[in-house]
Amino acid sequence: MQAGGFTRKMIRVNLTEGKIMIEDTPSEAVKDFWGGRGLGAYYLYREVPVDTDPLGPENKLVFTIGPLAGTMAPGSNKVNVTFKSPLTGTYSYSLCGGHWGPELKFAGYDGLIVEGKSDQPVYLLIDDNQVEVRPAGHLWGLLIPDTDALLREELGDPFVKVAYIGPAGEKLNRMACITSDRYREFGRGGAGAVMGSKNLKAVVVRGTGEVKGARPQELATLAEEMARELRRHSTAKARRKYGTAEMVQGINYLGFWSTRNFSSGHFEDGEKVSGPAMKNDLVKGDASCYACPVACGKRTAMHIGKYGRVALEGPEFESIGLLGANCGVSQWEYIMKATEVCDAYGMDTMSCGATVSMVMEAFERGRVASGQLDGLEPRFGDGEALVELLIRMGERRGIGDLLAEGVKAAAESLGVPDLAIHVKGLPFATYDPRGCKGMALTYGTSPKGAHHMVSPTMGPEIAGDRFAVEGKGTLVRTVQQYMAVVDSLGFCSSMRFVLSLEKQLQVFRAATGLDCTEEEAMRVGERILNLERMYNVRLGLDRRHDILPRRFLEEPMPEGLSKGQLVEMDALLDDYYAVMGWDQKGIPTGEKIRELELETLIE
Amino acid sequence: MKVISVSVQRCVGCRLCEQWCSYSHNGAVSPTDARIRVLRDLDGERDIPMVCRQCAVPLCAGVCPAGALTRDEKTGAVRVDYNTCAGCGLCVEACPHGAVAVDRNGYPLICDLCGGLPQCAVHCPEGAIRYLRRELVDRDIKISAVRRMGGDR
Repeated sequence: MQAGGFTRKMIRVNLTEGKIMIEDTPSEAVKDFWGGRGLGAYYLYREVPVDTDPLGPENKLVFTIGPLAGTMAPGSNKVNVTFKSPLTGTYSYSLCGGHWGPELKFAGYDGLIVEGKSDQPVYLLIDDNQVEVRPAGHLWGLLIPDTDALLREELGDPFVKVAYIGPAGEKLNRMACITSDRYREFGRGGAGAVMGSKNLKAVVVRGTGEVKGARPQELATLAEEMARELRRHSTAKARRKYGTAEMVQGINYLGFWSTRNFSSGHFEDGEKVSGPAMKNDLVKGDASCYACPVACGKRTAMHIGKYGRVALEGPEFESIGLLGANCGVSQWEYIMKATEVCDAYGMDTMSCGATVSMVMEAFERGRVASGQLDGLEPRFGDGEALVELLIRMGERRGIGDLLAEGVKAAAESLGVPDLAIHVKGLPFATYDPRGCKGMALTYGTSPKGAHHMVSPTMGPEIAGDRFAVEGKGTLVRTVQQYMAVVDSLGFCSSMRFVLSLEKQLQVFRAATGLDCTEEEAMRVGERILNLERMYNVRLGLDRRHDILPRRFLEEPMPEGLSKGQLVEMDALLDDYYAVMGWDQKGIPTGEKIRELELETLIE
Repeated sequence: MKVISVSVQRCVGCRLCEQWCSYSHNGAVSPTDARIRVLRDLDGERDIPMVCRQCAVPLCAGVCPAGALTRDEKTGAVRVDYNTCAGCGLCVEACPHGAVAVDRNGYPLICDLCGGLPQCAVHCPEGAIRYLRRELVDRDIKISAVRRMGGDR
């Protein structure tokens, strides 16, 4: 159908007017931003202005795939969605693995833009070149597994790929995710609530077309080589064996695994929820995303007395951390059930876990009374309360209605804003930045709030000096640029263990026929970072919004191998801004903007 | 004769087999053009590779009114003679493994064993798809059958 990875076609659906258009992907966007996360930045900056209500019809969901998806490249299955976040009010994007993105490519598209708002619940069917909006009244209110089953039955095709929201998205829970094929999510930032605000329940894709690289034979040879390397690589092997849970032991040992609402970095019951423990207690099999030889997905099942059989894919590392250690919960039955509840209602396990942990700390400290919490008494370690609070959040029932507004708003309303651990409204991931200083910058300067994958510096920091401040600006900048490249090519971040930048670019060149040096690629990454930053600058954000909560600046790590550490935020930010070519307020200078040839886009 | 053997227990649903099948036949990747498809059974929590097993008495050939399905002399694979095939689709329905696909023009796509070096088996990282002598196919299945009898592990 097309050589060169890109299809150069985008679907634009306006739900207000019920209008569907197929348009060309702009040449300059492809050249300067590639696909995936970069292409999403291009569209959001141009099309979603400052005063947009994240849950209003003017917000957009810009789904974009990378040029490598659907080619022979291993692990190139990520699809990105860019949107203005209802949780943070800022720029946001989220990436999802699985099989939905590649299917959209096989249908012939680089992406899908959803705008406006339908007055009735609808779903979108993308059937190659036939795109239609269909009624979804019969699906509204259904949990994710039921929505999945009903759609496949209705279409009589078990091979279709589906992205949908659950009741959390419908009820505008600001931590709602968009789920694809049951177990893969556009997890963070509340994309599911944006979808719900548009009355859009699902996007079903059937793509029967083909994807041909510019130099297919070269691509095939590279794919073979890379698959071989992935099978041999030690981290990839650990991922395969234990899933992302392979990280539990190391991070917990080093004392920066967020525990009890981020008050400590060591969970004394960590061994109970480690990778090996999970494999022994829960894992029944492995599940892979499209074209990935690693298969880090773990199929798990457990019979739980009061809940019955719980079966899912996961829980993965961050879910174990934020639903487990950070809530003081170490029993699998509650971590499994909590994950299942989040999956069924369509909510981000990470943000929801961090919201519950805030409530637990507030209650334990006596700053919030049982009467304010529907009579519940949630203490750290209380798995039953965890599950109950999550269900209420999914249904926006009782205290769940407030918690569904997100940790920042909920904590402010409960009078405990200091216990909400977030940046820009997005809760932290499970790496305590006191034990890994680069992560302070990662959380602080990420355009979407405290997300870890914007620049996961843990690896190089553990190998180097994780407590040092010096050099972290450069490290974070480099990893940020690198991840912007990975996310815009459409590779899964797990591929980066094996695929050096040069390897990725070899694939890019063979797939697209375009030339690109490492230096040029890093420049594309830098351009994306700066455009994302400028989106937030345009909203009035600056240095003040890059600061971590006081806990990390003033409360030394109480125990373990990171004991006594604090985050030196100002020094870190000064260094990073200088390295980025931003001013002291964290705003990209005119010179930097011109250097990156962003001035026409930003004007 | 050697045939494709499939293990549902080992398959993780990466679909590299679909990639290599379509690429080696057409030079481009397309799951729909692949002669092997992996069905992800979301409720059953498993992935099922669906591909021709080269039945001893191919039911597809038996129902073919045009006599278009014969055995390849070299590999023993069921071969479609597209000059005589009418595209009626009876073979699709007759296949007990659900392994006959249909191309965009309505003609059947059946595994041709890649002339004796099946690319799906070569590239399966899981050992879930193997190219084995007929008489060895049952061996791997026996252990899973035994485990099933023993109940949930």
